[in-house]
Amino acid sequence: MGDEVYSQMVKELKDGKYVFTGELEPEKAGDVNEPIEMARELVGLVTACNVTDNPQSMAYVSSLAASYQIQKETGMECVYQLRCADRNRMALLSDVLGAGVLGLKNILALAGDHVSLGDTPDAKPVFDLDSTTLIAMIRKVVDEGKDLGGNEIHNPPKLHVGGAAAPGAAYLQAEVAKVKRKINVGAEYLQTQVVYYTDVLDKFFNELGKVDVPILVGIFPARTFGQADFFDKNVAGVDVPPAYLENMKATKAIKDKEKKKEEVDRVNIEFFTGFLEHLKGTPAAGCHMMAVGYPRIIAPLKKVIE
Amino acid sequence: MIAQEQKPMEEILGYLEGKQKVVVMGCGGCATFYHTGDKKAVGEMAEKLRKEGKDVFKIVLPFSFQACDIEKSGVWLEKNREELENRDAVLLMSCGDGVQVVTEYTDEKMSITKPIIPANDALGLVGGGPKKFKETCLSCGMCELGKTAGICPLTSCGKGLMNGPCGGVRVDDKCEIDEEKDCAWVKIYKRMEKLGELDKFIEMRDPHEWSKAKRPRLFEIEEPVGMDMIGAGLGMLTYKLGPKPKLEE
Repeated sequence: MGDEVYSQMVKELKDGKYVFTGELEPEKAGDVNEPIEMARELVGLVTACNVTDNPQSMAYVSSLAASYQIQKETGMECVYQLRCADRNRMALLSDVLGAGVLGLKNILALAGDHVSLGDTPDAKPVFDLDSTTLIAMIRKVVDEGKDLGGNEIHNPPKLHVGGAAAPGAAYLQAEVAKVKRKINVGAEYLQTQVVYYTDVLDKFFNELGKVDVPILVGIFPARTFGQADFFDKNVAGVDVPPAYLENMKATKAIKDKEKKKEEVDRVNIEFFTGFLEHLKGTPAAGCHMMAVGYPRIIAPLKKVIE
Repeated sequence: MIAQEQKPMEEILGYLEGKQKVVVMGCGGCATFYHTGDKKAVGEMAEKLRKEGKDVFKIVLPFSFQACDIEKSGVWLEKNREELENRDAVLLMSCGDGVQVVTEYTDEKMSITKPIIPANDALGLVGGGPKKFKETCLSCGMCELGKTAGICPLTSCGKGLMNGPCGGVRVDDKCEIDEEKDCAWVKIYKRMEKLGELDKFIEMRDPHEWSKAKRPRLFEIEEPVGMDMIGAGLGMLTYKLGPKPKLEE
């Protein structure tokens, strides 16, 4: 990490505080009312919230617009996710400068899923930059006030850039080398893809060794069986444990809404308590709780670590 | 054909730094056509490398024996197994296709893992000749020529617009980004006019389906055009050369 601190999230990470982040998903809609409602419930529970950018290559509300609106309406600090799949380096630069203008302080630089995997498969995939070169570009913009062409930027934005890591990657050595590459070019923090297995996490940290960058480990407590099942079937590099899936599936049969909620919470708390207790003993600097649309689970899960 | 030009020597020498014993291998396909991988080009490259103090062994592929067609280039690889085993690197004077086909074959079928270094830069699928060529086809997997009077706007329009022209056409119908190049959409208009199809010009064409170009594209053919179908002469030649390449079938 550089010396400057622009955001609350990076401040807390630098202070050595155990940091929790959440995740908000703007959808295919002309408003961001739902993520705003979720953000309101998470204020005070997490330090910042990621705002997803066309997740799984579904074309949704711009994460830039959503991040701005959520931050403005709720005061929740946002981690603006920015992916290379849909924008060339010019559009990426414009959006980075725009993020600065709109008061956003954290960017998570991502390559993004291939467009053919989403709901607009005929779109031309861009990938002019990748996650590493995007991180390098943002650092150049912020630290040197220059774009990739070396052109001067007047009053450059003050924000932080982080990268993603996938502990469950099928070929871990290459993934870890890539993560180190991101760190070398200036990633200031890392947020990992969802992890369910403690041995996967341990293997990742062992392979990575000591690094100077704080790592927030991703977990995904699912609000419904459908969410968990979708993750298992569609998200690359993530296997959801069969026992957890079975327990979530069993909740489908419960007719009473309140009882169903209670049971879903119980399944999640039971499963993640063990994982989070284990997480405390790892080099993780915090936990990225991707409980999309499921803010009520954050408080009980935080208790396990605190 | 795939147009190509040789990389700057400085770049090639950079890749060969620390590699003393080098194989320089040519290509009898497009690279022979563009003088970037024929017998003469291989000889000149070998000379340049020798002047740099390298120990060079040459593999020249005869005309029509492409590096990318492993049934043919494999014959030369197998014949020169010993040299390949004992050298530090192979400089391949073909397009990137040839480089990768040879890399995969030497790695997986010959169990010889060496740096296979590209000597050329491929410049696209071109047509025309005998001296001037133009990139005409993107190999996009979803040919649009039926909608555009036989001129591909994805390749020939600087912006790849499906519904042009853009506002940047120059007075002499040239492209806004290069005054040497014609505006593809003015050409399409003029051609449709001659064909009496201007009603089609006004119709909106849908965005191109890029999903047809999901990379890398793989495909299979049922009946390969094998060495025996190319001609008795070439068949005999490979018979005399020695072991045939190890193919899938």
